[in-house]
Amino acid sequence: MATTTSGGSAEAPIAARLFGCGTPPTGEEAQLTFWSSQVEVRSARGVQRVPLAILRAREVVSAEAGLELSWDARGGSCALQVFSPAAIARLRSHPLLREMAQMARLRASRMRSRAWRTVAVALLGLFVLLPVLALLAFLWQADRIAGAIAGRIPVAREQQLGRQVFARMRDSLKLQEQGESLLLVRSLGERLTRESRFRYEFHVAADPAINAFALPGGIIVVHTGLIEATRSPDELAGVLAHEVQHVELRHGLKGLVKQLGLRGLWAAFTGDAGGTLAGEAAVQLGSLRFSRAAELQADAGGFDALVARGFDPRGMVDFFGTMEKAAGATPPPWLSSHPTSAERQQALQARLEGLEPAPGR
Amino acid sequence: MPMDIVDYEIFGDDMQYVEVELDPGEAAIGEAGAMMMMQDGIEMDTVFGDGSTQQGGLFGKLLGAGKRLVTGESLFTTIFHNESAGKRRVAFAAPYPGKIIPVHLAELGGTLICQKDSFLCAARGVSLGIAFQRRLGVGLFGGEGFIMQRLDGDGLVFVHAGGTLMARDLAPGERLRVDTGCVVALQQSVDFDIQYVGKLKSALFSGEGLFFATLTGPGRVWLQSLPISRLANRIIAMAPAAGGRSRGEGSLLGGLGGLLDGDNN
Repeated sequence: MATTTSGGSAEAPIAARLFGCGTPPTGEEAQLTFWSSQVEVRSARGVQRVPLAILRAREVVSAEAGLELSWDARGGSCALQVFSPAAIARLRSHPLLREMAQMARLRASRMRSRAWRTVAVALLGLFVLLPVLALLAFLWQADRIAGAIAGRIPVAREQQLGRQVFARMRDSLKLQEQGESLLLVRSLGERLTRESRFRYEFHVAADPAINAFALPGGIIVVHTGLIEATRSPDELAGVLAHEVQHVELRHGLKGLVKQLGLRGLWAAFTGDAGGTLAGEAAVQLGSLRFSRAAELQADAGGFDALVARGFDPRGMVDFFGTMEKAAGATPPPWLSSHPTSAERQQALQARLEGLEPAPGR
Repeated sequence: MPMDIVDYEIFGDDMQYVEVELDPGEAAIGEAGAMMMMQDGIEMDTVFGDGSTQQGGLFGKLLGAGKRLVTGESLFTTIFHNESAGKRRVAFAAPYPGKIIPVHLAELGGTLICQKDSFLCAARGVSLGIAFQRRLGVGLFGGEGFIMQRLDGDGLVFVHAGGTLMARDLAPGERLRVDTGCVVALQQSVDFDIQYVGKLKSALFSGEGLFFATLTGPGRVWLQSLPISRLANRIIAMAPAAGGRSRGEGSLLGGLGGLLDGDNN
């Protein structure tokens, strides 16, 4: 390598690209060597020495970051650019260039841009995280939020919703227009719901499955299978009281609000609105599933309603016993989403004991 | 690895295709779906990644493929190699109106940074990578997004973009202000930044948007006159099927003219 006579460097030259100075517009390969007061630029066009004093430094960013040293020559300005990270590091830390004011500025701007980048990343992170946090908050407090929203929906609206859903389901249900069981269900139901703010409708569907369900707003459907499984009107009243409580406590509406909220959040989160919400709502209500807490609440409320209306609450307790026996390996649909019959029976039994001596009839 | 040297010919005016002549044993890589025709003796081979030999191993291949996915290219690259004893030709067509430009990577120092999706074909050995926009402002407002394509090698690559393509050489320190979205490709030496238009009135009413892209030399840049997104917007705005309004084209008959001019469906 070059001699070190004038206190210059014996370092290996830095590969760079030279622009201007009579090179082609797209530049050409060059080698850069530092001497004590000048830089030596060696290219296919020859060797030139540039005093350090006239050098300017600047950062070049075109997706990749590079470093440029430029100076004014007779034929216009010339520039040397370096892109490989190792070479950039060598240039940055070179003792001769460190003195340059521009280098100091570059370092400062680098720090600044780093700070900006941190801020930007933080903002971006927050932006991404916000829906996740909202989703988590909603999941955590879903029941409470849904309850609060459902509380603001007028009863008339709820009844309208229930009727719409029922109209959709009606065709698939074999509803009985007359018959003893329908009369029985109606009379029991009316006794249970006499002073309710909801207008109840009771239906009996011909279906061997042991099932009954309530739609928001007061439509209650009992399957013939369930009526056959009950051994006394008191047991049937127990089931009805339970379903009536789902309506009174607006479990259907709350569940729906929760589902819609989650779905809406999901859509906002993923940007996928997938399917109309209204259509989904109908599907959802058709196969209503209440939470464990809601079921136990309906049991307790139903029990109290039975007592208040002069039914024998033991009928309700007994029915769970019947169910338990009937259940075997596969529980009937009415119980599939419910807490186990035994568990519920125990809860009701405790309530029954709290009631003793029984109020009689 | 030395690049294959290919001869080429570009045909057409505004909807171009490029015909590449391959000597025996030579190969070209093409963007999936860009091939228009090939002569007998050219074998087509589809590889995972970009077909350059730099990426060794499965992981390298996956990484290369992932990069291609990010830049909007297909996961696979098609290699066309000439297995015959004579010269054979294969042609690649541009996907939309615009120009095809040949770029010698060796002339540029080995690297070209271009708009994603603009790669059409290249000599075998060119590696396709991604370049992340370092400047936040450019990524957000530069019109090219945060991810650009990076072509490395020393061979010939063909790049395609919309409208008329113009190459411009910038002297050291020379600055060009460009409408965002019109930058197709730039040599690595060119500084790419954005600049606020300067006046609120201009920002709101000039129709040029809030920012210009600024390109500072030295080096060569390529600009397109009609970004495909702009053309697509115009077409959609005019297309009745997409809710647009077809105007009467100045016909006195107005709406009735539409009944008579024969392009009803």
